[in-house]
Amino acid sequence: MNFKKQFKDGLLDKNPVFVQLLGMCSTLAITTSLFNGIGMGLAVTIITICSNVLISALRKVIPNQIRIAAYITIIAGFVTVVDLLLKAYIPALSESLGVFIPLIVVNCMVLGRAEAFASKNGVLASAVDGLCQGIGYTVALVIVCVVREFLGSGTFGGGLLNGGEGIRILPEGVPAMQMVMPVGGFLAMGCILAGFQYMTRKMENARKDKEAAK
Amino acid sequence: MKTENTALYILRLALTLFIIAAVVAAALAGVNSITKPVIDQLNAEKTQKAIEAVLPGGFDEELANFDNQGGLVSKVYKGANGYALEVLPSGFDNTITMMVGVDTEGKVLGISIVSHTETAGLGAVAAAQTSAGEAFRGQFVGQSGSVGVTKDGGTLDAITGATITSRAICVGVNAALACVAGLG
Amino acid sequence: MAQMKYYYELTISSSPHVHSPVTTQTIMRDVLIALAPALIGSVYFFGLRALTVTMVSAIAAFFFEKLYCYLMKQNDKTYDLSCIVTGVLLAFVCPPTIPYWMIIVGDAFAIILVKMLFGGIGKNIVNPALAGRAFMFSWPVAMSTWVKVGFENAANPLNAADAVTAATPLANMHQGLLPEASVMDAFLGNVGGCIGETSALLLLIGFAYLLYRKVITARIPLAYIGTVAVLSFLFPMGQDRITWMAYQLFTGGLMLGAIFMATDYVTSPLTKLGQTVYGIGCGVLTIMIRYFGGYNEGVSYAILIMNCCVVLLDRIGRPVKFGAPKKEAAKK
Repeated sequence: MNFKKQFKDGLLDKNPVFVQLLGMCSTLAITTSLFNGIGMGLAVTIITICSNVLISALRKVIPNQIRIAAYITIIAGFVTVVDLLLKAYIPALSESLGVFIPLIVVNCMVLGRAEAFASKNGVLASAVDGLCQGIGYTVALVIVCVVREFLGSGTFGGGLLNGGEGIRILPEGVPAMQMVMPVGGFLAMGCILAGFQYMTRKMENARKDKEAAK
Repeated sequence: MKTENTALYILRLALTLFIIAAVVAAALAGVNSITKPVIDQLNAEKTQKAIEAVLPGGFDEELANFDNQGGLVSKVYKGANGYALEVLPSGFDNTITMMVGVDTEGKVLGISIVSHTETAGLGAVAAAQTSAGEAFRGQFVGQSGSVGVTKDGGTLDAITGATITSRAICVGVNAALACVAGLG
Repeated sequence: MAQMKYYYELTISSSPHVHSPVTTQTIMRDVLIALAPALIGSVYFFGLRALTVTMVSAIAAFFFEKLYCYLMKQNDKTYDLSCIVTGVLLAFVCPPTIPYWMIIVGDAFAIILVKMLFGGIGKNIVNPALAGRAFMFSWPVAMSTWVKVGFENAANPLNAADAVTAATPLANMHQGLLPEASVMDAFLGNVGGCIGETSALLLLIGFAYLLYRKVITARIPLAYIGTVAVLSFLFPMGQDRITWMAYQLFTGGLMLGAIFMATDYVTSPLTKLGQTVYGIGCGVLTIMIRYFGGYNEGVSYAILIMNCCVVLLDRIGRPVKFGAPKKEAAKK
């Protein structure tokens, strides 16, 4: 078990959003304010950890033929629990994310980790994997949120800071509204993906150069 | 696995899935029993707040029999000072849920928008807690009979660039006024 | 360097090879000449600001393409003038009161994101100017504030805020009412609207020039305008058919879109049948959006949507190779 590698995988090398391109639906839909990004990220992280642990524990009991059905049932159970808890105790987040909380059931990232990792590894490793992937997902969401919120609403920390208004950076009337509309999700996502690939490619090349020098 | 196609194996598949589903269902039932009262209370408080915003003094009872104006009016609350009606006109993007307060003489006491998905910066102004939003909603106070935006020959100023949202809200207010008129 | 450039542009095709004086540059120059009457007209209708906005937009588009080529170390092809055409067309589909910084952002979007990132001229999927306009609806109030025509109401080049605003004919027609301006005014361009779209007459002069220079064929514009004419004649919104049809044809961006944007070589089909279907599709979508949509004007979105279908339309109406087996035979 290699915690450091798992963490780096989740954040960079196998980042669920920027590299695996999983969970795009929620990434494009809800990333309009920092509050949404952090809330969604935490919800998905908790669900991934729980479902990874349970699926890993049951991996020898669940027959191969019905594994997907079993995974989805387990995931749906956790999602509904989180949905109910949010509705009861953090209604503001529940209202802001709306239908996208129940839709975590079909977030490929959760099922993807169950299939790719939890069904083959031990309970502790799976829990760590869920945590790392969840952090990677949250960080990615927050990056997209900050970019879109800045360009589209001209604020930072919407829903969280300054009594929910966010800290205004651009004056009213300047921000491009399309950036908080669905089209802005695709635009921001595409540009951030390109930037991310550029960065990782550069890091990779630097690493190779170093090895070659040795 | 040798036994893959035997009846016993198929039974095992079904049983495993059944047990998982049953356990999940039981867990959900447990969580639901804890959260349901909390959620119900929150919803009740939200409705209460929305009603009080448009109907001073709150409401005493929810009416069961009213003319729903072609499905536009969903709920009617009766209070000492008049009625509060929940109406659901179609906005630019989706249904707008709004609360309209009407006094016993058929005059609008106030409107408040409970939830909407109108365009940010345009239609969303109607619900915003800004001076422009309050000015728009304020126009409705004291109106009676039928309201409309100036473009349609009415007396109210539409929100700049959001005629459709403004119209939708007029439709909602008209439905509420007609409904109250029907109540007598 | 000259040799390098020549090599880069060498296209390999089968003989016979015929030298032609037509280059992208001459085509784009002709398009700019064809747009000139409409630009002069817009200065007459909306004042000097129409000219300054158009110039700022053209320069910005040129600058962004140069900048992109420099940053990405790509072959600088700005000499082909296509970026200037994009800049001018983008200005033509904006109201004259648009703030300068907004149109510069629109240019950046059109040139960098829509054109250059897809590979530059000849490789963009949708019309850059129209995509830029779609993005500029980020500022819906600025994009739908229309000045009254006439020099005395004209927008000041430095300060647009004091212009007198008025509803466009399309806004009236969206509600099924006939506009206040007469059909003749609409035809001549004496109505509110975007910088370059108001005068059908001046745009038609440009159309005639393009046809004379054989820069475009009449197929797409005719199919497009014809479809709008037929549909608005068949389904008038409670008014006199002929008048209604005339207003539908002469107001809004229909002429500008049909003549200068739908005919963009890169984003329109190559085959004759494909072009006809493309024009009809644009017409149907325009009428659908004008009648049932949330916006008053549907031309830009209609063309953008049909742009996306071009890859499919190119597959219909392909000529059969000489001597190739007939379809039925090929199936067997």
